[in-house]
Amino acid sequence: MGDSKKTVVVVDDNATVRALFERSTEDLTLDLISFSSAEAAMEYLGENKPDLLFLDIIMPDKDGLTFLSELRKLPLHRDTAVIMITSKDYAQDRTVANELGALEFITKPMPMRAISDIITNHINNDNPYN
Amino acid sequence: MAKSYLRFWGVRGSYAAPFPTHLKVGGNTSCVEVNVDDHVLICDAGTGIIPLGNRLAAEAKNKELLILLTHYHWDHICGLPFFVPAFIPDWHINFFGPGESIQEMKQKLDSQMQAPYFPVGTETWMAKINYVNPRETKLSHGPIEISYYSVHHPGVTYGYKIKAGSKTIIYVSDNECQFLDKSIKQKMTEFSEEEQIMFEDMNREEYEYELETIRAADILIHDAQYTPEDYETKRGWGHSCYVDVVNYAIDAGVKDLYLYHHDPYNDDNAIDKIYEKCLEILQERDTSLRCHIAREGLEIPLD
Repeated sequence: MGDSKKTVVVVDDNATVRALFERSTEDLTLDLISFSSAEAAMEYLGENKPDLLFLDIIMPDKDGLTFLSELRKLPLHRDTAVIMITSKDYAQDRTVANELGALEFITKPMPMRAISDIITNHINNDNPYN
Repeated sequence: MAKSYLRFWGVRGSYAAPFPTHLKVGGNTSCVEVNVDDHVLICDAGTGIIPLGNRLAAEAKNKELLILLTHYHWDHICGLPFFVPAFIPDWHINFFGPGESIQEMKQKLDSQMQAPYFPVGTETWMAKINYVNPRETKLSHGPIEISYYSVHHPGVTYGYKIKAGSKTIIYVSDNECQFLDKSIKQKMTEFSEEEQIMFEDMNREEYEYELETIRAADILIHDAQYTPEDYETKRGWGHSCYVDVVNYAIDAGVKDLYLYHHDPYNDDNAIDKIYEKCLEILQERDTSLRCHIAREGLEIPLD
């Protein structure tokens, strides 16, 4: 009997980003679930806590930082491991992400090896947010 | 004066620039009035809202306003403590801007009117003040319809799409357009061939999304703070180079582009030169886009 597979969720409206994550995690033993909007992700996240959650910031329906703030109000997601992955590279956004407990703030474009390394590092370690 | 119009009351970014060398373009910070049949919508509350407020207090028939805030950087809210209608009891002022709650929006506006930064707080506003729920996805003010989307600027910042009469107006005071494009180009040699293809696709998708936000707008008012020389050192500051903005507007089929949020360092002569450069781009691209410099007092009929 082994550990159940880890779950990684990606929320990004850009289809190529979602495909990049799929490609980056092909050789990893995990379940990758992706959503194109905060609203679609909330249906899943309302009842499920992934081992790692990647959030884009600029999205058509709701920006990722507002979404993260709402997630943190849910008991289920007070300590969910979150990484922002975004084209925005501004100190103000990094500060807000940090205050909301994001573990890292990564700017696009992000090579595949770096994505798989980040995922491997975080899901193989205890959640440092705790 | 036209029955329905758009008027620029403040066109500068960052800080007010009331210098003699800047008077043709104007020195007030961001504020645009959209008036449709005496329904007044105000985009941003920089120092430009002060003279607008004085005029409204003296002349307005309809005393209910909607003020849209793109974000809370001080050049976009610093006119509010001096906005006369807020201090008059029979006015009704609605605010909308980024935020998770009405309380958060209120707190952000209260903060700039607190000691030691200001002698009185928003409790001295005698108008009826209403904060529109920031979770509303679409708004209206009389016959004016408004929607919004996030733009590329520090913090949560909105661009607004305004349908006023037969015109679609897009107001994007602060936005660093095509940021991802430049990030990808900077790093392209670091990527594998497969990654290069994926990042080009990512970039194309991102740009297509950016184009859709302004597609075929009748009037686009857009951040154009930087020259190419400025942008070499100020990339990542959250503002656009005018060259990128003009090309962006052409690619999206915009009809009239108003370059906005001018750098306060640029005097009237510098902005004239920027305008000439823009005309060169229009000629090179053989486009029907009309390009203008937004300046204080400029009024555009919307009928």
